Amino acid sequence: MSESPEQLARRRAEVKHLRARRPRNWFGRASALLAVGLVVVSWLAGGFSSSDILSSRRLTNLRRFMTEVRPYPLQREDTGPSRASAVWEWARDLLAGKGLSAAWATLALSVAAIVLAGALALVLTLPAARNVASAEPFGLPGTRVVPAARWLWTGIVVLARGLLTFFRAIPEYVWAFLFLSMLGPQAWPAVLALAVHNGGILGRLGAEVVENVEPAVPRALRGLGAGRLQVATLGVFPLVLPRLLLYFFYRWETCVREATVLGLLGFTSLGYWIDDARVRGRYDEMTFFVALAASIVLAGDVASAVTRRVIRNAD
Amino acid sequence: MTTGLKGPPDVGVPVDYRAALPSGPRRLGTRRAVLLLITVTGVWAAFHLQLDPRGLIPDGGGLRLAGRFFGAALTPALTYEASFVPEGAPPFLQKVINAMAVTVSFAAAASSLSLIFGVPLAFVSSQAWWASGDEGAGARRVIHAVGPVVYGVSRVVIGLSRSVHELLWAVLFLAAMGLTPLAAVVAIAIPYSGTLAKVFSEMIDEAPRDTARALRDAGAGPLSVFFFGLLPRALPDMLSYAFYRFECALRSAAVLGFFGIPTLGLFIRESFTNAQYHEVWTYLYAMFALVLAADAWSGRIRRRLVA
Repeated sequence: MSESPEQLARRRAEVKHLRARRPRNWFGRASALLAVGLVVVSWLAGGFSSSDILSSRRLTNLRRFMTEVRPYPLQREDTGPSRASAVWEWARDLLAGKGLSAAWATLALSVAAIVLAGALALVLTLPAARNVASAEPFGLPGTRVVPAARWLWTGIVVLARGLLTFFRAIPEYVWAFLFLSMLGPQAWPAVLALAVHNGGILGRLGAEVVENVEPAVPRALRGLGAGRLQVATLGVFPLVLPRLLLYFFYRWETCVREATVLGLLGFTSLGYWIDDARVRGRYDEMTFFVALAASIVLAGDVASAVTRRVIRNAD
Repeated sequence: MTTGLKGPPDVGVPVDYRAALPSGPRRLGTRRAVLLLITVTGVWAAFHLQLDPRGLIPDGGGLRLAGRFFGAALTPALTYEASFVPEGAPPFLQKVINAMAVTVSFAAAASSLSLIFGVPLAFVSSQAWWASGDEGAGARRVIHAVGPVVYGVSRVVIGLSRSVHELLWAVLFLAAMGLTPLAAVVAIAIPYSGTLAKVFSEMIDEAPRDTARALRDAGAGPLSVFFFGLLPRALPDMLSYAFYRFECALRSAAVLGFFGIPTLGLFIRESFTNAQYHEVWTYLYAMFALVLAADAWSGRIRRRLVA
């Protein structure tokens, strides 16, 4: 089916006409322009020149790093023929010495922090959800509400939401500084820092989930005479639990990453030994611990993905 | 009935509601199992870290410190808090604004870099890219041979780049060649590329397929189908996520200050160590302002594009 020239011309004109009439999104265009401008200015003015990174001093550094990053037995001349077993021993010693205990500490820190964050979020989720924390939860028909009660509940919502915003607005490392100087060197500052920050995030996400819940069941329970707490625990909680758990595990993945990094601030997770090895100039150990941290993160991601799938597929 | 509860409506026929309930011994449901697992591992973690509730009680000094810190929130510093200011130092607010500008420029540079690497990676790690269209037999054979390899390699690259935190990449660069500004940007861009690629590829695969199918039925080639049928359907989500990642990059750029890059994190740490809490709050408010601005911007874009 071939078109005649004038048919083709008419079709082209039609396409042109349609194109001229397509909806234009001025805000989107301005945003794109602004974004491109920001990027260009940043690259031009930010001092990210590559000449500095490729200077001879840095290249010498890099060459030294590349030799020193190899496992220590391979750097020595006198290792002899049994190189593989020497490297194996090197890895085993690193694992037995610091690696495994630091890995467990990292994992435990992330778990303790996320469980605490979940508990914190659970406490604040209900008062932050406008449909539960209301003078007439889920719109109970036919009750008279005094204005004072309405104000009281609005106050509770504002307070809970403000608290959650405050928790998550302050970065975890600032919380860590604060708790560290308040409580001294122990595991609590790192746990609390992650727990408070992530509790703020989980609480906000949870409140949104509760507010979006299908109101049929809670309303039915309400109509049967259930109290606010009964509606929340029996009518809302079972409905939103899968979603909450999904968020919980998603944030746990982040917690595992952050738990490693908090070691840079002095907590003896993997990050501590990574920085320690860097300061001592033992780049082979440093890379080994980075790889260990990466494998923990990967394992955590897999565990979380599996659990999330189980939750999603349940009932 | 003496209670306030109303029973089920009388439908005339006696209904045994218990028949509808599961019978037999109670099984451990999935949710209960997961909740139990969380509790058990939580208790294990507490014991492993030797978390003692008594350790939570700060001494008098700790309480005073917290009081001073949170008290300073209401009066952020507008001038230097220290009595001694080095010669030639810029006015305090000027310093704050400079730090904000540096933070934004690092975030913008890192975001752009992560887009450059992340988008192609997202294409080849999406299943839709490799879904065979109506190519010739030869092309199909090549795709069948190469596709799984490239797909697998790109998934591994994504996993590895994401599994190392940007601060650890920074530590690696610091050890290898010193942390130049460019190295810091690359340190952020590596895990961000991986995350962008992962999320973008999921968005592409979850985008509605109707346009793509229509184009393919009309005889379009696989590349046209992908770029004109599938990608535009995923683009709004991708754009709004990219802006969200810019917000995250602002936070990451700030944290990189710990390694001496003059972003907000460096000054937050300095002022905190010097117990100049009013200054800390000024920097924190500056950070909030940046994040809120980015959030408002991305929120507006999301409403325009997705809704």
